[in-house]
Amino acid sequence: MSPKAKIRKEILMGNQALGRGLVENGVAVMTAYPGTPSSEILPSVVHYGAEMQHPPYCEWSVNEKVAVEVALAAAYTGQRSAVAMKMVGLNVALDPVMSAAYIGVIGGMIIISADDPGPHSSQTEQDSRLLAHFAKLPVFDPDSPAMARDLVGPAFALSERFQIPVMIRPTLRVCHGRQNLNLREPKELERIPVFGRDPFRWAAIPKMRLALHHALNAKLTKIQDYVSKSKSLNQWHAPLRPRAPLGILASGMAAALARDVLDELGLPVAEGKVPFLQTAAPYPLPIGPVSELIAGCRNVLVLEETEPVLELLAPNRDRLWGRASGHVPSAGELTPEVLGEVLERALGQAKLKAPRPRGKVLTVPDQPPMRRPNLCPGCSHRAVFFSLRRALPTGIYPSDIGCYTLGMNQGAVDTCHDMGAAVTFASALSRGLNQGKDATPVVATIGDSTFFHSGTTGLINAVYNGARFVLVILDNETTSMTGMQPTPESGLTADGHPGQAVELKKLVEGCGVRWLTELDPYDMGGLQKTLKKAWRWCQGPEGSVAVIIARHACAAQRPADAVPSPRKVEVKGQAAPAKTSFRPKENPCADCGRCVAICPAGALRRTGKGKIKVDEAKCTGCRLCAAVCPTGTMALEPAGACTACGLCSTWFACPALARDAQGYISIDRGWCVDCGLCAEVCAQGAIAPLEEQK
Amino acid sequence: MSRLKWQAVVAGVGGQGVLFVSRALASAVEHKAGAILISEVHGMAQRGGAVVSHLKAGPFSGPLVSQGQADLVLALDPGEAVRNLGYLLPKGWLVVNAPDLDFLSPKAKKALASFGARVLTVPATALAGQAGTAKGANVVLLGAAAAAGALPVRPGELERAICQGQPPARARANRELLALGAQAAAEV
Repeated sequence: MSPKAKIRKEILMGNQALGRGLVENGVAVMTAYPGTPSSEILPSVVHYGAEMQHPPYCEWSVNEKVAVEVALAAAYTGQRSAVAMKMVGLNVALDPVMSAAYIGVIGGMIIISADDPGPHSSQTEQDSRLLAHFAKLPVFDPDSPAMARDLVGPAFALSERFQIPVMIRPTLRVCHGRQNLNLREPKELERIPVFGRDPFRWAAIPKMRLALHHALNAKLTKIQDYVSKSKSLNQWHAPLRPRAPLGILASGMAAALARDVLDELGLPVAEGKVPFLQTAAPYPLPIGPVSELIAGCRNVLVLEETEPVLELLAPNRDRLWGRASGHVPSAGELTPEVLGEVLERALGQAKLKAPRPRGKVLTVPDQPPMRRPNLCPGCSHRAVFFSLRRALPTGIYPSDIGCYTLGMNQGAVDTCHDMGAAVTFASALSRGLNQGKDATPVVATIGDSTFFHSGTTGLINAVYNGARFVLVILDNETTSMTGMQPTPESGLTADGHPGQAVELKKLVEGCGVRWLTELDPYDMGGLQKTLKKAWRWCQGPEGSVAVIIARHACAAQRPADAVPSPRKVEVKGQAAPAKTSFRPKENPCADCGRCVAICPAGALRRTGKGKIKVDEAKCTGCRLCAAVCPTGTMALEPAGACTACGLCSTWFACPALARDAQGYISIDRGWCVDCGLCAEVCAQGAIAPLEEQK
Repeated sequence: MSRLKWQAVVAGVGGQGVLFVSRALASAVEHKAGAILISEVHGMAQRGGAVVSHLKAGPFSGPLVSQGQADLVLALDPGEAVRNLGYLLPKGWLVVNAPDLDFLSPKAKKALASFGARVLTVPATALAGQAGTAKGANVVLLGAAAAAGALPVRPGELERAICQGQPPARARANRELLALGAQAAAEV
């Protein structure tokens, strides 16, 4: 035994515990696509796998469908494999997952799909256990990092015994919970991969699939019997008692928190007043113990996240208190507060009095406003979004999933749906909005990792079908939101095995794109010109999809590369707001509408009689209109001092731009990274580099 | 010896070192509590959003603290202190990175005073800034909390938990920050 592999105690995050569990159980192939709350699982397998003589093969796959297929084929060869993703990734992977239940595996395979009740960092609150049920795959539901680790062994055992992939479904509180646990030694299985040719199984045609479906159903019956008899998967925290008015059936994090809340209510499970059955295997339902609980109690409260699974599968549903009966909320996380209310109500209805009502809670008025997440100071995405609004102010901006969704703070994100939808939405929207004389510019933004994940198919579709829009690929050379995982462009692989960089430019060209340029978005002037040029080309006779690759280092991952030449800026002073006014006598208005389009406050409108009308109440005095006026009708000079116009805080939205109660801006040195971009943003010339001010 | 049963809520803004604080507290109290459960925030909230970490030391099952149950609410940002006051036990400690309680509205101040919790305010960012590292405010605040008796461990135990395994220069800097906090707590 190497000294490194000695048994030791560590405080592990749930995702690390899962990674540890996989290494302790001989995983040989591990794949994943990053997504909160699952992202740390694969790096933990890499980390702990280094303790093994033959570390597992690990890869960041390009997307979840690919990840599942790679892990699945490895399991065909008898190796133990695992794949990790967030629950929306399971949707992407559902196609191979569905078939995997029919065809099964040889080596054990675990599909980890991390759910996000809340949701805290996701688009939906979907319950992966329902998809496991839908796909006819057994699923385990851990309540803690320790249980997550401890379920890996039984999951592999079940998977190999019944030749079927097994899902482990941790929720965010398990993934991002931490717990101290004793590490066990890594297991070296040293299985040689063998592919046993069997086209009737691995390449089954529909007729054989029917036979496989019958076989799957028979397997599930046996698995149900197996999980039903398992003592470790079904824990009686409080045993059945005669004529119990209320019992609790629970699974996952809700089971753990409910035990703590019962303790706070003065009804600790150890005292056994309320029979409490927790199952770690919600599907197939452990019918034995569950039926026993329901038969032995007048009513049974079902606590699980996020959808009813136990509740729908259990017998005697008329005696269950859960989502159908309205006892448990049908949306949102089951926090201790929610569980407290649910339990108090159920106990009351069952005529069981909680000895201790829930504690006194300090409630104070005047709560601070919600703190919105924001792009980091110095982030080049911010420069792209500002330039977008500046160059094509009347545009529609479909965007995508990643850090850059936060471009919403700058009013430059109009849609955010699922991975890759920026491209497909742009293609559909541009078709509708391109009609007529005043075509609306459609400019989509998508990150590099998201583009590799699901952007190319939409792009090929758009080019092939003749869509016309501008696509900006925000290439910061990493997967930043989920923790800086490498992208195919880097050529770096998850565990350091040799890989090869995939060039983004060639990939885009390969999708049939004929107008393509690469630039650094820190040059905001150049980017604005390029955006306008790209949109003009889209509208021209030869126009199609124009792609701009905006490449700049991630400010969080490589701060020195993101701000290679720091420029310290300062606000030059304050001036009274000056409202826009027109002087059309000397310089008649051309009625071009540029000022109307650019006005961030929506204070200008065309009268239709060759005039522009100003809504004095809305005008903030930012003077952007004067900056774009080609005739000099608005001959306003920049104030040279901050007029509290709010342009930088609304269109640039940098956390380093602090706004006081009157709206005047100052630089918050705690945040500022001296990127100097805001000096170009300010329409008043009020923010300027210090050296220029001297 | 009866095991420690202790709950804390650590709150702040992305980048302030909230997770460092809850992990440091966890390793400091681990030997007394046996079992440790922590809840962390990752992902989008770390981009400048509110970050909160719960710590439950002792015989607990789940990692989230219930409202009205925290022995300690430690806030690296005054606004986040306000947001998390509801977790306080009536006999709990509020330790906050602020020169005084003036970040509270008069009404909120009154509610806190009548609730009965013990309060420690420390201008930790300013103190850490004077020591040359504003980012060390979290360690200053921890030092103050330990010295004031807001933690179930002695200052020395906290120091060991933070500094063990750190490179000597880093450990020395952290010891200085802890001492600054202790000094500030003594002056209150």
